[in-house]
Amino acid sequence: MTPVIALSLFGIINLFLGFTFKRQSLQVVTLLFIICSMALTAMDWNHEYLWFGDMMKTNNLSINFSLIIQLAGLLVVAFSNGFGKDEVYTQPAEYYAILLFSLVGALLMVSFQNLIMLFVGLEILSVAMYVLTGSDKRNLRSNEAALKYFLMGSFATGFLLFGIALVYGSTRSLYISGILYNLSHTAPESLPSFLYAGIILMGIGLLFKISAAPFHFWTPDVYEGAPTIFTMFMSTVVKTAGFAAIYHILDVTFGGFQKNWIITVYFITIITLILGNISAAYQQSAKRMLAFSSISHAGYMLLTVCANQPSTSSNILYYSLAYTLATAVSFAVLMVVAEYQTGRTEKPENFDALNGLAKNNPSLAFAFTVALLSLAGIPLTAGFWGKFFVFTDMFNKNLTYPIIIAVLMSAVGIYYYFKGIISVYFNSGEIEKIETSFLFKIALWSACIGTLVLGIYPTLLKSIF
Amino acid sequence: METKTDRFMQSIPEIIRTIPLTHYILLSSALFAIGVLGVLTRRNALIVFMAIELMLNAVNLLLAAFSSYFSDPAGQIFVFFIMAVAAAEVAVGLAIIVMIYRNIQTIDIGLLNKLRN
Amino acid sequence: MSSILFIPLLPLIGFLINGLSFPKLSNPVAGIIGTIPPLAAFALSLQLFLQFDGNTQIVPLLDWISVGELSIPIAFQIDQLSLLMLLIITGVGTLIHVYSSAYMSHDEGFGKFFAFLNLFVFFMLLLVMGSGFVTLFIGWEGVGLCSYLLIGFWNKKNSYGDAARKAFIMNRIGDLGFLIGIFLLFQEFGTATYQEVFEAIKAGNGSNLGLIAFCLFIGAMGKSAQIPLFTWLPDAMAGPTPVSALIHAATMVTAGIYMVIRANVLFEMSPEVLHFVGWIGLATALLGAAIGLFQNDIKKVLAYSTVSQLGYMFMGLGASAYTASFFHVMTHAFFKALLFLGAGSVIHAMSDEQDIRKMGGLKSQLPITYITFLLGTIAIAGIPPFAGFFSKDEILAHLYHHDIVMWALAIVGSALTSFYMFRVFIVTFHGDFRGTQHQADHLHESPIAMTLPLIVLAVLSVIGGIINLPAFVGGNEFLAHWLNPILPEGSHEALEVHFASLEFLAPLAAAFIPAIFAIQLYGSKKAVPAADAEISGIQKIIYDKFYIDEAYNFLFVKPIQFLSQFFYSFIDFLIIDLLVESTGKFVKSSSNELRKLQSGNIGFYIFMMVAAIAIILAWTLKSWIF
Repeated sequence: MTPVIALSLFGIINLFLGFTFKRQSLQVVTLLFIICSMALTAMDWNHEYLWFGDMMKTNNLSINFSLIIQLAGLLVVAFSNGFGKDEVYTQPAEYYAILLFSLVGALLMVSFQNLIMLFVGLEILSVAMYVLTGSDKRNLRSNEAALKYFLMGSFATGFLLFGIALVYGSTRSLYISGILYNLSHTAPESLPSFLYAGIILMGIGLLFKISAAPFHFWTPDVYEGAPTIFTMFMSTVVKTAGFAAIYHILDVTFGGFQKNWIITVYFITIITLILGNISAAYQQSAKRMLAFSSISHAGYMLLTVCANQPSTSSNILYYSLAYTLATAVSFAVLMVVAEYQTGRTEKPENFDALNGLAKNNPSLAFAFTVALLSLAGIPLTAGFWGKFFVFTDMFNKNLTYPIIIAVLMSAVGIYYYFKGIISVYFNSGEIEKIETSFLFKIALWSACIGTLVLGIYPTLLKSIF
Repeated sequence: METKTDRFMQSIPEIIRTIPLTHYILLSSALFAIGVLGVLTRRNALIVFMAIELMLNAVNLLLAAFSSYFSDPAGQIFVFFIMAVAAAEVAVGLAIIVMIYRNIQTIDIGLLNKLRN
Repeated sequence: MSSILFIPLLPLIGFLINGLSFPKLSNPVAGIIGTIPPLAAFALSLQLFLQFDGNTQIVPLLDWISVGELSIPIAFQIDQLSLLMLLIITGVGTLIHVYSSAYMSHDEGFGKFFAFLNLFVFFMLLLVMGSGFVTLFIGWEGVGLCSYLLIGFWNKKNSYGDAARKAFIMNRIGDLGFLIGIFLLFQEFGTATYQEVFEAIKAGNGSNLGLIAFCLFIGAMGKSAQIPLFTWLPDAMAGPTPVSALIHAATMVTAGIYMVIRANVLFEMSPEVLHFVGWIGLATALLGAAIGLFQNDIKKVLAYSTVSQLGYMFMGLGASAYTASFFHVMTHAFFKALLFLGAGSVIHAMSDEQDIRKMGGLKSQLPITYITFLLGTIAIAGIPPFAGFFSKDEILAHLYHHDIVMWALAIVGSALTSFYMFRVFIVTFHGDFRGTQHQADHLHESPIAMTLPLIVLAVLSVIGGIINLPAFVGGNEFLAHWLNPILPEGSHEALEVHFASLEFLAPLAAAFIPAIFAIQLYGSKKAVPAADAEISGIQKIIYDKFYIDEAYNFLFVKPIQFLSQFFYSFIDFLIIDLLVESTGKFVKSSSNELRKLQSGNIGFYIFMMVAAIAIILAWTLKSWIF
């Protein structure tokens, strides 16, 4: 309960601090705010309780998700060293405030017990992201990204709401506990058929948010158009929160109705995997490639949602963490390189812009490599264990065909991830030493080391999850 | 003491219930479908936005209907939430549309296709 | 954190400090940073040893892999065996570190050398302290890696790099067998920790024990240079002498023997494998001694001597004489390290000359080296009352009761050992000086940092026998009693040997007579080994190492290279490249097509979404529609 309140208050305070503080100190202040709220979150460990009229629940699972989400927010704020320089980003206080508010929305999404809260949290998160996506006001790509995200996001929310309404109509309750109780106490024949439509529509509304195919069309355009720092936020926080919500809806609430939604989600997963990986293969722009890669990772995480094993929640947590760390690092490196190359090349976000990074920026190149290796699922990185646990789940459920496709698509993935590693280390290009702030370096190295440590010793966190 | 207004108020759900539930569902679905079609076919960003609002209001209608049928206020409370959130969304959405208009002097969404492939 | 965890941690820290900053640290500082970890580890090990109360202690470190039913913890086990190994590794290791600070002082890679030495000590400690086969294997691989790094340390000459590669590859072949053994262990028992496996074996579970033991022994063959995987050890002499002393005499090569003693429960249940172990040991002992007979490089002689002595240890294991073999491990560590360090002292004094035919008469110039080398030679020859006599003859005594043919051949090998060691000694230190004038000018005794370890090791070689003095000469058999708890029941029978029996006299004869013969031949008659061009006949065959390296080259290396070339040009080029490239092209072209799906047109996107939703809803509600 306290982190939600704290983050909202901190957001408001941030708005006012914008009048007095300088830009760099604002970044530090926001970091402190997020660390403070992470501490407040962690204080509730092993302490399960309901609040806000039983509409929200805090338990270890929600604390873990909250911590990952806030960690992602922390990384985003730490990497956001460009806010002060460009004249476009002239209101850093407001951006930090909106970031904090969207974190609140994400926190609501992971600990909901009532469908109203799901909707409210989703909307808080999404609306904040619409604003941030369009924050580069004079850049037409940012405008286009914001419009696409907004229109398609509201569209999907409409479906989610319709689904919630239908579910409410069949079960007479908006509380998850009420739904479970009513569904278990009604004979299956007397359940109205629009319940199944409702479940599917709710699933679709949420699947849009995590960019599963065929609802993924917004992802490459929006990720590419938005300013890179906000893309980082979108691909980490929104995905994690989205998957938490999907897990709660599909696996916890409607787990008993699996035979109704499993075929649909099955096919969606397969199409997501195939589309995400194959479309990424031919991309010239590294940022767009990372967007497609986030689609494919959504596919992998959906695999474990399909499997619905007891270990599903911990596997989603682990995969989210691995994916968050790796994506944050890769977008961060991309961001500084693109900023450096903006005057010098016409496409500063392509793979060619990364050529020869390793010569003068060995630590950036190394961190980028580790991040890409983790995304590709190479052993000794956290991403490998994430994929391994997901595949183990599928094996336990005897769903072999998706695993074969997932493995094949992983192989395709290695191609486009290694394109990045090759341009960084093996191609020649002229990039001088890029200066990065101290916070940036700390965030980069800790995310990098975190990936490697989790890759060597996964039980460190798996036991907590 | 029960007044005439109280009796009238208590009879409203019965009046509503004289129409079978399926009619409400069909009406709501029809409105929703019209909204979806609006989003699909129109090119003016404002009209698309209106269609989305139509979709949300169709949901509102359905929730209110269910709420009356089950005499459960939760549905109508949800309607309030949806309205409030939709209002916020409208604010942001219109701001985005205005920003685009400032840049390209039009709000035809078919013209915004630079981010592709 | 228990002090036990500091023992491997300190060398690791030393490696990191020296490894990351070696260009910036001066030589003395790097040397001190490199020497303190093994010294501190020795102090800690000594403290553990003195405080040991007979109960095995397991110190868990972390739970490395825990997936499903598979659980591999990394933990340390302190028991009688590991404590002794700890003392040897850290003790001899510290002496060699001190020695290296003087020996390598002119080398520009000084800090790097100490970093690698510390890394090696770390892995070796991991190996002997591990509580299960997996931790042992991690250390096993690690010492193989460090061996490679240290053998090829002077990477100026191609042949040094080749020698390092050869060592690594031969080790690898052994490691493959070891790994298969570990897999079989997991398959049989679901675990690889010592306590659980040995309990299960003692309770009578598990089949295929012979196969497991055999696979594990293949690893020992590679690591401890037994036939057929022994040719890397002589070539490993390309590394600096302290490396040869530490790794290839005292510690790494004894890992195989440690492993067999540790897994004695397993090997006792597979008598055929033990039999095989014994015969391999015997063959290696004889072959090593025979080749060493005529070698002229001082380090090569010692290398073949090591191969031979390792063979003795395996022979002892084959006869289930675990205590005796371990006793020989300990004494061999003392006198072989001494001999190698002494050889290093000679080489250093002779301005890097290693051919004994170009030495001679060094006795007056290098007094301390001379005396310590003499003591080491006496010890290895098995002359009482030095350490070598007690350990080697205990093995021989067990062999006498086990298999008399083995015993006889072992006696022959012992004779050869005595002969070639005294040969080397006399030719190097006595007689006329046969080197160049330049070398004579620079001839000087080594500095104290090099001679002090020599003296310490010499003392240990002399008095080392008291570790396990047999009862019939009034000793207390300390080692036997110490190791008894971890060995199979009844494996310790008191040796009753009569002084006037063949059993007692034959080894003595085998020690003294060839020694006297060698002293005669090379000392009084001043015979000098012939130059390379003049050797012929049987002597030439033995001198050329029985052409084993050439045979390996012909049988294994060349066919693999041919096969590799064939696969490259034919199969790789035509089939695999075609297949892989066509898959790649297919993915690329489909990617190109799929890209067009992202038309950028929001209307198209929403249309796709709605179409998908319509299809999904139709499917879900199909029962309702139809």
